[in-house]
Amino acid sequence: MKAKTLAWGIAVIIVVGAGIVLSGVLDPSYKTAAIDQADTPIPAQLIARGKYLAMAADCTACHTSKDGAPFAGGVPIATPFGTIYGSNITPDKKHGIGSWSSADFYRVLHDGIAPGHPVYPAMPYTSYRSISRADSDAIFAYLRSLAPVPVANRANDVPFPFNIRALLRGWNFLFLRNSLPDASSGSSDEWVRGKYLANGLGHCTECHTPRGALGQLTLGKTLQGGDLGDIHAVGITPGQLAARGWTTADLQHFLAFGIAPQGSAYGEMHDVVHYSTQHLTQADNKALVRYLTGDTPLSPAALPAQAGPAPGTEKVIAAGRPLYLALCAGCHSANGQGKPNVTVALHGNSTVRNEQPHNLIRVILAGVSAKQFPGNQGRQAMPGFDTKLNDQQVAELANYLRASFGGLKADVQPGDVASVRKPK
Amino acid sequence: MSLTKTPVSMTINGVLVGPFDVPESLMMLDFLHEYANLTGTRLGCGQGVCRACAVILDHDDGTSEEIRTCITGVGYFAGRKLRTIEGHASRDESGNIKELSPIQQKFLDFYSFQCGYCTPGFVNAATVLVEKLKRQPIDKADVETVVTDALNDHLCRCTGYVRYYQAVKEVILSTPGLTKERPHES
Repeated sequence: MKAKTLAWGIAVIIVVGAGIVLSGVLDPSYKTAAIDQADTPIPAQLIARGKYLAMAADCTACHTSKDGAPFAGGVPIATPFGTIYGSNITPDKKHGIGSWSSADFYRVLHDGIAPGHPVYPAMPYTSYRSISRADSDAIFAYLRSLAPVPVANRANDVPFPFNIRALLRGWNFLFLRNSLPDASSGSSDEWVRGKYLANGLGHCTECHTPRGALGQLTLGKTLQGGDLGDIHAVGITPGQLAARGWTTADLQHFLAFGIAPQGSAYGEMHDVVHYSTQHLTQADNKALVRYLTGDTPLSPAALPAQAGPAPGTEKVIAAGRPLYLALCAGCHSANGQGKPNVTVALHGNSTVRNEQPHNLIRVILAGVSAKQFPGNQGRQAMPGFDTKLNDQQVAELANYLRASFGGLKADVQPGDVASVRKPK
Repeated sequence: MSLTKTPVSMTINGVLVGPFDVPESLMMLDFLHEYANLTGTRLGCGQGVCRACAVILDHDDGTSEEIRTCITGVGYFAGRKLRTIEGHASRDESGNIKELSPIQQKFLDFYSFQCGYCTPGFVNAATVLVEKLKRQPIDKADVETVVTDALNDHLCRCTGYVRYYQAVKEVILSTPGLTKERPHES
């Protein structure tokens, strides 16, 4: 009897507690700032700083659609819970953030609570939470300085029960953390700045960390690689970067130009370089890489200097080499060195050297669209071979690349190809 | 260092070619020029963009596709059937041209090209399109879109795309069986 009363008591407490959390009475609120005073002119310097920070935070990626006005929203973000559309963050009073205060803006970055309702964690407030109030105000000042664009927000396509926004307060209660795990070990000023850039503004973890059943970041596997989208966001822990041959200098060049000896940016990472990382100052670029590699970077894993088969892989080579010479060597060259301004080298390529063959298979099947990079560099389109090669042949080709140019085991199976080929 | 060689043979324009011992990394375009003595296929960009080097690959099921020979290795064609620009016109027994193919003739009638460098690729692509429409006729209203989709990737720097476009459209509309009238809507 006593136990039953206790159980009832706990149940009531949980229900009441959940009710309180979901109701929003616990939502935090913040003070407005000087920039909210209508008669106070906003310094041009603050707006310029906000513009830089907005690029570092890559607001454009989700808030500017391909054929739309800057920051007017409309970008579809596919999630396992439905499609969410980036919102209008121009200072339009009806559709944008024209009637918000800097406190409202800080709260949506810090807590995921917009005026009137919580936002979905497709908005990376799980990362933006560590953005300082001063930087939030600068971004807000910049956005307020833009021309208002009267474009209505597109309704999200999210089915029941995920369309009940109040539940997001429960999600925040369970999963929103004040800080994210460190990607590497370090303590230098540069590392600390890099942590702020990567964990906060850059929100790297949102794509590069695997997610759990409710869409939460699996913090125990921070930056070990996410699997949303056709092209997976690869693991970028210090160990994984070193295993694929990345040096700090090459990473710095990659983030600034989208191209490195290990390959060029494709998939969503190309947009990240295009809209965000290429604009980082040299100091911030170096800091970001310092944080990703740590204060004591690991040495990149060695590859044989000459492209060639590892001992014991003769059978793999015999099966895959004819396919490589027939379909790939015309652009990537017979020894995998690539061609400047045409194609990447495959010898030592980061995708080829990735233990997880998913992206390699995906690129062989679907190809890559033509890309432009800073510094007047380009990579032409690569055709996809999904109709030309069967699963067995794609596996043979992938294994040839791994064994000849990647220093990896030739262990890709036709079944691996079939699972990548299968539409989600 | 010696090049690794591999034997290849194939059927080009209905004639068995080879076997030749060729370097294993030889591109098909070089095979056509240097081994098969067929020099009509053009090297343009050499990196698969301009499609001047496109030839026709014939599949056993009767379908055909265009394929870029500057970026496709000779090994891909081993044992297969293909057609090059030399194979379109009909010839008499001594090899003289009797009649051009409908696509070739219309390109001439419309003065579709000036320098002619890209023409072999265009002839092959347009021919592949006509053959596809024989199997799968389209609505007359869709002809312009279909021609654009089929030839869009081919680069021409002289005549501004208008005349070859008109020529292909004319062939499609004047050849029975390539188009169908959309049923009248009541």
